Amino acid sequence: MNGSPPIAGGSFRTAWRRLRRNPAAIGSAIVLFLILFACFPGAPLWVSHACHHGPDDQNIQGTVTENGHKVPVVANDGTPIGPGLRACYLLGADANGRDLFVRLLYGGRVSLEVGITSAVLCVLVALLLGILSAYAGGMTDSVISRFLDLIWSFPVYLLAVALATAFAVNGISIGPLHVASTSLAIPIVVISIVYIPYVARPIRGQVLTLRRMEFIEAAIASGYRPTRIMAVELLPNVASMALVFLTLIVATNILTEAALSFLGVGVPLLTPSWGNIIEQGYQTIVTAPWLTVAPGLAIMLTVVSLNVLGDALRDAFDPHARIRIRG
Amino acid sequence: MRRIPLVVAALALATAAAGCSSGSSASSGGGGGGAPQNGGVLRGGIPDNPDHLDTGISFAVEGWELLEATNNGLLTFKKAGGGQQAVIQPDIATTMPKVTDGGRTYTFHVRPNVRFSPPVNRAVRPSDFQYAIERLFHVGSPGVGFYSNIVGANAYAAHKAPHIAGIVANDAAGTITFHLVKPDGAFLDDLAIPFAFAVPKGTPYKDISTDPRWRVATGPYMVSTYVPHQKLVLTRNPNFHQWTPNSPNGHVDEVDITIGVTPEQAVNETIDGQLDWYMESVPPDRFTALRKQYRNQTFLFPRNNVTYFSMNERKPPFDKLAVRQAVNYAIDRNALVKIFGGQGIPSETVLPPGFGSSYKEHHFYPHDVAKAKALVAQSGAAGQPVQIWTTNSPPAPAAAQYLASVLKQIGLDVTGVKPVDDSVYWDTLLTQSGDPQIAFNHFDQDFPEGEDFIDTTLNGEHIVNVGNNDVSNTNDPTLNAMIDRTKLMPLGAARNAQWANIDAYFMQHDAGWAPFLHLEQATFVSPRVHGIVFTGSYFELIPEMWLSK
Amino acid sequence: MVRAVVGRILGLIAVLVAISVAVFVIFNVIPGGDPALRLAGRHPTQENIRQIRHDWGFDQPLYVQYADTMERLFIKHDLISYQDQTPVLPAIERGIPRTLSLAIGAAVIWLFFGILIGVLSGVYQGRWLDRVLTVLALAGVSIPIFWLGAVSLYLFTFKYHGSPLFAWIPAGGYVPLTQDPVGWATHLILPWLTLAIVSIGFYARVVRNSMLETKHQDYIRTARAKGLSPARVLTRHTLRTCLIPVITLFGLDFGAAVGGTVILIEPIFGLEGVGQYAQESVAHLDLPPLMALTLYGAFFVVIFNTLADLAYLWLDPRSRTA
Repeated sequence: MNGSPPIAGGSFRTAWRRLRRNPAAIGSAIVLFLILFACFPGAPLWVSHACHHGPDDQNIQGTVTENGHKVPVVANDGTPIGPGLRACYLLGADANGRDLFVRLLYGGRVSLEVGITSAVLCVLVALLLGILSAYAGGMTDSVISRFLDLIWSFPVYLLAVALATAFAVNGISIGPLHVASTSLAIPIVVISIVYIPYVARPIRGQVLTLRRMEFIEAAIASGYRPTRIMAVELLPNVASMALVFLTLIVATNILTEAALSFLGVGVPLLTPSWGNIIEQGYQTIVTAPWLTVAPGLAIMLTVVSLNVLGDALRDAFDPHARIRIRG
Repeated sequence: MRRIPLVVAALALATAAAGCSSGSSASSGGGGGGAPQNGGVLRGGIPDNPDHLDTGISFAVEGWELLEATNNGLLTFKKAGGGQQAVIQPDIATTMPKVTDGGRTYTFHVRPNVRFSPPVNRAVRPSDFQYAIERLFHVGSPGVGFYSNIVGANAYAAHKAPHIAGIVANDAAGTITFHLVKPDGAFLDDLAIPFAFAVPKGTPYKDISTDPRWRVATGPYMVSTYVPHQKLVLTRNPNFHQWTPNSPNGHVDEVDITIGVTPEQAVNETIDGQLDWYMESVPPDRFTALRKQYRNQTFLFPRNNVTYFSMNERKPPFDKLAVRQAVNYAIDRNALVKIFGGQGIPSETVLPPGFGSSYKEHHFYPHDVAKAKALVAQSGAAGQPVQIWTTNSPPAPAAAQYLASVLKQIGLDVTGVKPVDDSVYWDTLLTQSGDPQIAFNHFDQDFPEGEDFIDTTLNGEHIVNVGNNDVSNTNDPTLNAMIDRTKLMPLGAARNAQWANIDAYFMQHDAGWAPFLHLEQATFVSPRVHGIVFTGSYFELIPEMWLSK
Repeated sequence: MVRAVVGRILGLIAVLVAISVAVFVIFNVIPGGDPALRLAGRHPTQENIRQIRHDWGFDQPLYVQYADTMERLFIKHDLISYQDQTPVLPAIERGIPRTLSLAIGAAVIWLFFGILIGVLSGVYQGRWLDRVLTVLALAGVSIPIFWLGAVSLYLFTFKYHGSPLFAWIPAGGYVPLTQDPVGWATHLILPWLTLAIVSIGFYARVVRNSMLETKHQDYIRTARAKGLSPARVLTRHTLRTCLIPVITLFGLDFGAAVGGTVILIEPIFGLEGVGQYAQESVAHLDLPPLMALTLYGAFFVVIFNTLADLAYLWLDPRSRTA
């Protein structure tokens, strides 16, 4: 049939070839792999072989031996020990006597889990809404588009903070669905909501373009059901766009989690995340700057790798930059 | 377990009398510098608006600190630090009252010619004190509870009487008499706090903090400018003249307070020479370095505060005495002091060291995690879920996380630490439905007397559904009876000894709290500032401060 | 055209109403945020609380309270905060010039550098300069904005404050332009750079991608074939087309910045603009200022979105048929 869609299955192979030749893409992929390794299998390995205490072990009255002296982990005036070349407290301790390096590893797990899960949720819902509203058109399209407009008109952080604050007080209770206020599901859900319009609009735009193409007209004429058309014909053709968005949204969501945790409405306190480690460390930035600087650098490294990879993906699928910021 | 030695209290006494202070880390006064000089502008900073500048409504230390410099009542606390601040002296009253009728009637003579500042200008009359107290019931004042023991107060509150029958003000004779329902030695304290300060009759029944027509002063200073979120200026009250040593003239000519200065900014600006004095504590992590470098400008004052974890006796697992005692055994109070930057005195008592003989440190719960774990297991509470609440104001969240690790160690299942914004936290704690299982808590004195702490927070007869200060829901009939009996006693050593007994009884037999320290306030001032006298109710007394050139 | 504009305005109003209802619902559904308790202070009696509930209208049904709040906000202009009973609108009016000073100053910086870097990247596409600038630009947008502000504040006003290079940088606060232009600028330099650094990358990428697209267009190749110098082609043709997506992105971005991102920077630097007021109001569960601020923020976002849409339509005739 003629009028083949702009991006066919074969383009994934072409994209892969382009990606392989892009040193920035390879570099960022390696960095991401290392981070994932460090945070997931690496963390318990470090705990069991190197320093023997976990991310929540508070050692306020403990000591470490440095050059033969016993140095308190937390001094009498509350100042914790700083970074040093030792297995325990490699990056120093926080005011509760916890090992910052270990917390960064475990906190990374949480930040990545929250970032990835919320991004997947966001992109899935955006795909659903984008395809549905563009394909169905008419009233459905109007309603969905207005709803997306409403969410997008809310200044992003204000909406996120408002929702997170509201849910943080007593959790979510809708009918049979109960989510405790200290559950990770709350920041995940909140963060996934705020960027749905950002992804859904370009997808809708892309589907609108595809819809007018002959191969879709042909499918409709052949009597295929709408769900089949949406799933089999349309979806694969927005898949590359969704993939690019996924990478970028993971990056954005990690930053959003950090911001929400910094404002006190993100990941709950007892679970370390890069964002809430900064929030707690910021109080003593003057006397213990490493507590603020280290997690921020961890975030930066992860996010820049994701951004470089996402950018490379976009170039690989679309070297003439047809996927634009605004769809 | 330190106690403020009597030597220091005596030092504070000598200091107050001489009008100048010496020594650097003295517990209640400081600044050195020789004889006080008059004049100059004191540049101050505060992180946010003072809660209110209305004597009938203000109930936070920032508001009280300013009102102490601008307004007066029949009585006042001695303008001294340490144990001396509990001594009550006449202010606008000519002498201490005549107490008759078995401690139920108090008669005062009101000093003539104490004038309100412009635009009211006229002399204070006895009816102004009656008006001040009656007004509390019309502005929803948080202080009404202190005056409900006056005959006719409840009827007045219910709008069944035109006046409080038990207050008899005679403007012609210059006297005012109070009739109480039950004798209460601490009634003198109730008359020395801002709620009972003189207010011109006719002051509207709403917050006059920003209304210069009614925001008038009787003291050496008046609020001449107040722009919320921007600045607040105190200048000399032109109608003021000193009437006793208890009402000092004030040394500085003006106090310029910038609103919106963060603690970090304050430290930096003081070092840079742009700020003289900050109305909040120095961040603990900076205090050590400052103390080393600016020895004569840093002070650590006792705040007459108790910081503790309160346990709700109505909610499992803290409905079991064994579990509450376990928490007391399990926490290492010295570790918690570190979390508070070393700015506290580790302790097991309810009452703070500044309360003189009411404070008697006890040692029922030496740090013993194994014993705590055994107690939890024996009481069958092992594995029960617990959520810890805390205010988000540092370092409370760190203390709460410490508690979480401790509770986990002794066998409880900690489901989370829930920080609540400071502006909302305290109201939430005071509601039964919101009242958590275990929470970070602290209590600062309103006035330096055991009743203020113990009757408010441990007397089961005061438990209500909303606005409940007995956060632990402690309701032990023996304890209640002991408290009620002690309230009737006149102020003095015997009464203080009773409070100390009650403190010990509560911790040993009820243990609804796990007190861990008494806070100290860390202050850092510019080298120009001297004459700092620190009290628990008003912190630094503004009229005592002076500036060197 | 007029119908489109009128339609947009009606849409704007509808969105603002919907947002105000959403905020109202969100904050009234939370238990534990009972403002009557907070207003009552520390030793409230039952009577106090009942009195306050009545005085402030909390015993009215929700829709009455909503209508009352809206009336106070738009008609009577006497909306008061629960937290400290100060009027909301003057506080917002005081904050707006500060937020705008921050946003506009930063915008100038990020537009300039964003376009510059984007053009360089586009011109030298594929070469090492492009790669390096790409990574730098992407690094910028990968930094958590509040962290950048906090760390830079710490470094330049505390750690290296002694060095003459940085001694002039104040540790937070704001000085009005009319009062002291130099002070205004020195107090804003760090906030400007913070906001700019995390924004430059987006513009650089957009300009670069746009340049790549136009480079291959026919009319460019025609111009080159005609003998026009590369620089001429660049300025005359390419740049103008490239600026279209920049303008539309700027519309989205600036609205979002003024309406929301400032919530993260202002508290760090103590600028006391509307962003900081918003952050404090959310933390305090203080509904009246929150209503006003959300509407203000949404208004900005929608206005700038609309301007961006209109600009896109006007500047790029090709998109009108899309």
